[in-house]
Amino acid sequence: MEVGQMQGRLVDYTKSLFMEGFLDGQFLQLQQLQDESNPDFVVEVVSLFFDDSEKLLNDLTMALDQPNVDFKKVDAHVHQLKGSSSSIGAQRVKNGCIAFRNFCEEQNIEACLRCLQQVKQEYYLVKNKLEALFRLEQQIVAAGGSIPMMEMGF
Amino acid sequence: MAEKSFKTSPRSFEGSPILVSPIGTPLRKVFNRISGFASSWGRRTAPRGRRIFHRDVEQEEFQYASTHCLSSYYSVFVARLAIMVMLAILIGLLTILTWHFTRIYTTKSLNTLTFGLRYELLQRPILRMWNILNSTSEITTAQVKLSEYVIRRYIKPSNQAEQVELYQMMKDITWALFASRKALNAITINYRNGFVQAFHRDHRSNNTFYIYSDLANYSIGASESYDSKMPSSRHGWNDQFIHGNVSATWYREPLDPITGEKTGKALPIPPDDLINIAGPSQVPDGVASWHVAVSKYTDSPLLSAALPVWDPSNTSIVAVVGVTTALYSVGQLMKELVEAHSGYIYLTSQEGYLLATSTNAPLLKNTTKGPKLMMAVDSEDNVIRMGAQWLEKAYGNKFPPGHVVHVEKANLGSQHYYIDSFFLNLKRLPMVGVIIIPRKYIMGKVKERALKTLIILISASVCILVIGCVCILILTNGVSKEMKLRAELISHLDARRRAEASSNYKSQFLANMSHELRTPMAAVIGLLDILICDDCLTNEQYAMVSQIRKCSTALLRLLNNILDLSKVESGKLVLEEAEFDLGRELEGLVDMFSVQCINHNVETVLDLSDDIPKLVRGDSARVVQVFANLISNSIKFTTSGHVILRGWCENPNVSSDSGKFSPDQKKPLSALKTKLKQHGNYMKKDSKRDNKMILWFEVDDTGLGIDPSKWESVFESFEQADPSTTRTHGGTGLGLCIVRTLVNKMGGEIKVVKKNGPGTLVRLYLLLSTPADGTEQHGQMNFAKHSVAVILALHGSMGRLIMSQWLSRNDVPTLEASEWNELTQILHELFRARTRNCGFDTHYALGEPLRSKIHSLQGMRNPVYVIVVDLGLLDLSTDIWKEQLNFLDKFSGQVKFAWMLNHDTSNAVKMELRRKGHILMVNKPLYKAKMLHILEAVLKERYVELQKRSPNGSKGTAKEGDSHECLEIDSTHFETCSSDDSDNSEMSGANSVSSLQTGELPREGSVKSSPSNCQTLKNCLVEYTRLDAKCENSNSPEQPSVSSSAKDRDNSYTSKAANGQKSLEGLRILLAEDTPVLQRVATIMLEKLGATVNAVGDGLQAVDALNCLLDGEEHRRESSFRERRNRFETEICDSPPYDLILMDCQMPKMDGYEATKAIRKSEAGTGWHIPIVALTAHAMSSDEAKCLEVGMDAYLTKPIDYKLMVSTILSLTKRSA
Repeated sequence: MEVGQMQGRLVDYTKSLFMEGFLDGQFLQLQQLQDESNPDFVVEVVSLFFDDSEKLLNDLTMALDQPNVDFKKVDAHVHQLKGSSSSIGAQRVKNGCIAFRNFCEEQNIEACLRCLQQVKQEYYLVKNKLEALFRLEQQIVAAGGSIPMMEMGF
Repeated sequence: MAEKSFKTSPRSFEGSPILVSPIGTPLRKVFNRISGFASSWGRRTAPRGRRIFHRDVEQEEFQYASTHCLSSYYSVFVARLAIMVMLAILIGLLTILTWHFTRIYTTKSLNTLTFGLRYELLQRPILRMWNILNSTSEITTAQVKLSEYVIRRYIKPSNQAEQVELYQMMKDITWALFASRKALNAITINYRNGFVQAFHRDHRSNNTFYIYSDLANYSIGASESYDSKMPSSRHGWNDQFIHGNVSATWYREPLDPITGEKTGKALPIPPDDLINIAGPSQVPDGVASWHVAVSKYTDSPLLSAALPVWDPSNTSIVAVVGVTTALYSVGQLMKELVEAHSGYIYLTSQEGYLLATSTNAPLLKNTTKGPKLMMAVDSEDNVIRMGAQWLEKAYGNKFPPGHVVHVEKANLGSQHYYIDSFFLNLKRLPMVGVIIIPRKYIMGKVKERALKTLIILISASVCILVIGCVCILILTNGVSKEMKLRAELISHLDARRRAEASSNYKSQFLANMSHELRTPMAAVIGLLDILICDDCLTNEQYAMVSQIRKCSTALLRLLNNILDLSKVESGKLVLEEAEFDLGRELEGLVDMFSVQCINHNVETVLDLSDDIPKLVRGDSARVVQVFANLISNSIKFTTSGHVILRGWCENPNVSSDSGKFSPDQKKPLSALKTKLKQHGNYMKKDSKRDNKMILWFEVDDTGLGIDPSKWESVFESFEQADPSTTRTHGGTGLGLCIVRTLVNKMGGEIKVVKKNGPGTLVRLYLLLSTPADGTEQHGQMNFAKHSVAVILALHGSMGRLIMSQWLSRNDVPTLEASEWNELTQILHELFRARTRNCGFDTHYALGEPLRSKIHSLQGMRNPVYVIVVDLGLLDLSTDIWKEQLNFLDKFSGQVKFAWMLNHDTSNAVKMELRRKGHILMVNKPLYKAKMLHILEAVLKERYVELQKRSPNGSKGTAKEGDSHECLEIDSTHFETCSSDDSDNSEMSGANSVSSLQTGELPREGSVKSSPSNCQTLKNCLVEYTRLDAKCENSNSPEQPSVSSSAKDRDNSYTSKAANGQKSLEGLRILLAEDTPVLQRVATIMLEKLGATVNAVGDGLQAVDALNCLLDGEEHRRESSFRERRNRFETEICDSPPYDLILMDCQMPKMDGYEATKAIRKSEAGTGWHIPIVALTAHAMSSDEAKCLEVGMDAYLTKPIDYKLMVSTILSLTKRSA
C-alpha cells in the first residue's frame, strides 16, 4: 500500500475516532507530548492504560460479584478508571465511569452491573480502535513514512 | 298572611327572569352548591376563586375559565337571592306567630270574660224574677193561711152581722198584707158565695183602691147550696158563678196608700173591669196556679198566682186568694243592666210570649179583644225580633236540654251578636231568658286592634325585609368584592411564584449549561494553545489559529459572564471575605486599561482620595470585576478624552473631592449625599461596630453618553443603551447587569448620574469593612520638609491636573507642562543661570501665574526637583528625541528625571535612557502610588548619595542599574499581563480568574514572598529600596533566575518563542499520582517543559521522599543558598529539595490530603514551604476549599490543562525562589 494512502487512512481513521466520540482532546495532548526523546510515548501510555484498566475491570467484576458489595471500594476503582481514561482521552469510557459512579452512590447493584458491562464494552471497543490505530501507524513507520500530525477537525 | 309573605318572595325571584333564566338547567346544581355555600361562605369562595384564576393563568383554558367566572357570578347572585328569601320567610313566620298568639289568647280570655259577663247579666233579671215569684207565692201563702184562720173562727156565721164582721176582719188582714208589699199589684179574695174583696194598687197614678162587691147579693145560704153542689160540678161552679154574677156591682173606693183610710167615695164599677179577680176557676184542682195576665190598665204583663182556701175539714174550698204582681220591675232591672252594659235582654215564657225586655218596646199588643201578650218573634224591637227569629230558625222547637244556648257569632242584620239563653224551670211557669250582646261591643275593639296590629306588623316586617335585603346585598357585595380581590391577589401571587420559579429554573439551567459549555471551551482553548505552540504552522495558519483563540477566549468570557450572572441570580454567589489592598487592585486595573486606551487616544486616570483605607475586607476579585466592567464599558464608548475612576470615602461633613467639581456638578452630588445621609448615618452607626465604610466611586468618561431614559435600564440583562451599538462595539449587555448585581450584593448601589458635558458618569458606593486595626495607615511622607518640587510634563491633561492637585494638597509645589516647548521654557526659567547654551530655547512666553510659581520655586532652599516626563513628549518618530535627551541631560545634576514609558516603548529608547543614567522609569499611567514611589525613590537616592558621596559613587550606579532592571521587569510583567487581556474589551472573566488565583495564595506576610501576576510596582520598589539599603555587599543571586523565568513565562504566554516549552527549566517536581497513565502523562508533560520529575505512586511514598530530603536539609541548610545559586550551571544535587509537589488527592495508602498534612507537619520546624499543588478530578469548590485547608497552595483539575499547570507552577515556584 502506498504510504500516502496509508497516511490518509490514518488521518481519516483518527478523525472518525474523534467524531464518534471515542477519543477527545486529551489524546491529542498526548500526541503533542510525543517527540524524539519519547518516540513511543503514546503507545506506552496507552498500553499502561490497557494494563491498568484491565486490572481495574477485573477488580470491579470481583467486587460486584461479592454477596455484600463494598460500594466504597467499587467507587474508588471506578474513580481510578475514570482518571486514567480521561487522561488518555478515552471519552466514552470516562462517560461510562461517570454514570457508574452515580449508581455507586445510589448503591444500585443492578445498574452498577449494567454499567460495568457498558464500561467493559466501551473499553474493549476503544482498545480495538486504538490498537488498530497503532497498527496503522506502525505500518506507516515500517513503510518509511512519517505519522501525520492530527489537525483539529472538531 | 303567611301566603302573602311567601308570595312576595317568588315574585322578587321572578322579578329578574333575565338573570335567573340562563342558569336554567344547572339551577339545581347551583342550589346544591349554595346549600353548602351558605354554611361556609368565606372559606369556600376563596379556594374556588383561586381555582378559577388558577385556570386563568393557563392560557389554553382561558375560555373555560371565563365561563366559570360567569357561572360563579350567577351562583353568587342566586346565593344572595336565597338568603333574602330565607330572611323573608323568617320574618313572615315571626309576624304570623306573633299575631296569632296575641289574637288567640286575647280572644280566648275575652270570650271567657264575656261569657261570665253574659251569664251574670242574664242571671240577675232571672233572680229578680225568681224573687218576685217567691215573694208573690209567700204573700199568697200567707194570705191563704190567714184567711183559713179567720174563716175557721167564723165557720158558721149565724147571722149577717157575723158575716160582715168576718168580711171586715178579712179586709183588715188583707190590707195589712197588701200594705206590707209595695210591689204587689193586687190581692183579691173571692169567697164561695161570690163576694169579692180586693185591694188594687195603680203604679202609674200611685193610687190605691179597695174594691168589693155588693154585699147584699151574697148570702151564706147561697153558699151552702153551692156547697152541696160542689162535689158534683166543681168546674161549672166557677165560671158559671162568675158569669152568673155579671150583674153584680163592684165598688171601688180610693184609699190612702199608707194608712188605708178611706179617702173617697166608693164608686161602682163593672166587675172585671179594673182588675182580674182570681176565681175558683183558676184553682180547679185545688192547688196553686200561676199564669201571666194582662190588664187593661198596665202595659206590662202581670204575674198572678191563685191559691184556694180550704175549710177546716179540708174538704171544700172556702175562698180563692189571688195575688197579682207586675213584671214591670224585671223590665226595669233589665233596662238598668243594659244601660250599664249594652245589649238586649228579654224573658219569654216557654211558649215564646215576651214577659220582659230591656227595651221600651211594648210587650202587649192591642187586639180587638183587648191587650194580649206578644210573641218574642213579633216584638217591635228589631234586635229582639231578629234574635228570636234566629233562635227559632237555628233550633226550631228542638231546644237543647235545659234550653241553654250559647252562640258567639249570630248574624243579625248586618251585625254579629252573642246570643245566650237560659231556661228558668219553674214548675208552673217555665221561662226562657235571652241575652243578645253585639259582638262589636266586646270584640269590636279587639278586632280593630288586631287589624291594626296586623297592619303594623306586616309593614314593619316588610320594612325589615327590605332593609335586610339591602344589607345583604351590600354585605355580599362587599364580601364578593373582597373575595374577588383576594382571589386576584392569590392568583397574582401564584403567577409571581411561577414566574420566579421559572426564572429560577432558567438561571439553574443557564448555570448548568454554561458550566457544561465551559468545559469544552476550555478544551478548545487549550488545544489551540498547543496548536499555536506548534512549529509547523504557516504564518497564515498561525494568524487564523490565534484569531480562533481570541474568539474562543471571548466566548469563554461570555460564558463566564453568564455563569456569574446566573450564579448571582440563583443566589449561589458567595462573596469572599478577605483583606485586600483596594488601591493596589485598582492601580493594577488602571495599568491594564491604560494600555488599551493609549491606542484609542483615551487617557485613563485613577483618582483615589487619600482617606480611602488601604486595606479593606471583601471579595477583591468581584470588586475588581465591577470596575473592570465599568471601565471597559467606558473605554468601549469613548473615542477620545479620558476615563476617570474616582474614589473617596463617605464622609458626610467633608466633601473631599468636590473641590474639582464645578458647582452645577456638585449639586446632584450633594443631593445624592443628603439623600443617602440617613442611610449613611445608619450605616455609620453600625459601622462603629463592624468598621464598615461606605466607599464612593465614580467612573467618568467623555464618550457617547447614555440617554437619560435608559439610565435605569442599562443595568438590566441583555440591555444596551442603543441596540445599534452592538454592531459597532459588540458586547452582550451582560456586563453592567453583573456589575449591578455584584454591587448590590456588596451592599451598595449603582446608578448613572447626570454629567456636565458629554459622556457618562456612573456612580456607585460599596459597603466594605475595614480590618479593625487597619485604620489610616498611610505612611504618608512629609514631602514638604524634604523640599521637593515636581514638574509634571505629561500629555494627558486630566491626569496631570489631578496629579498636580494631589501634589499641591500634599504641599509639594508643582509645575505643569503639556508639551516639550513648555517644558523647556520652564527649565530655562528655573535654571536660567546654568543653562545658557540651551539649543531648544525657543523663548516661549510663559503665562504670568506660571512664572510666579517658578519664582516661588526658586525661593526654595536646596530643593529637589523631580521632573516627570512623558516619553510621548519626545519626538520619537525622528531622531530628534536624542537631541532632546541631550538637552535634558544638562539638567541632570540639578533635577531628577522620572520617565513615563508607554507599554510599547522600544527597547532602543529604554537602552538609551538607561545609558544616560535615567533610571527611574515607570509605565503609564501615572497615579498616586507611582508618584509616591518616584518621590520616595528620589529622596532615598539622594539620602544614599549624601551618605556615600565619594567612595562608592561608581558602584552605586551599577547597583542602581540592577534595581532599575527589576523595576522595568516588573513593568513589562504588567504590560504582558494586560496585553494578554487587552485583546478583548470585556476582560472581567479572565481578570477574575487571575485574581482568584491570587486570592487562593496564602499571603505569607513577607513582602518578598508575595508573588501574583498582578504584583504591583510598589512591591518591586520596596524590594528595590531594600536591596538598596542592603547595599552592595552581595548581588542578589536569585534575581537573574527570577527575571529569566518570568521572561520565559511571559514568552510562553504571548509569543511563539522557540524556547517557550522549556519554561520550567531546572525545576524539581515531585509527582504523587497513583494512576499509571496519568503519572506518565504528567511526567512527560513536565519533562517537556524542562522540569525534573520524580514520580511516586502514593502519598506515603511522597512523604517518605520528602522526609529523607528534609532530614538531609537540616545540616545542609548553610550551603543551600550557594547550591541553589549554582544549580543552573552545576546541577549537582544528590538529593535537592523539590521546588514543587504535584499531589493527587485520591490515592491508595495515603491520600493527598493526609500526605499534605504530614508534609506540612514535618516542615514546621524547618521554615521551608514547598508549594503543593493538588491534582483532583473533583471540580467542586468544596474540594478546593478542602485542599487549601490542609495546606496546599493551588489546585489543578484533571485532566491536566497544560497552560494552567504551567502558570500555576510558575507563580508558585517564583515566589519560593
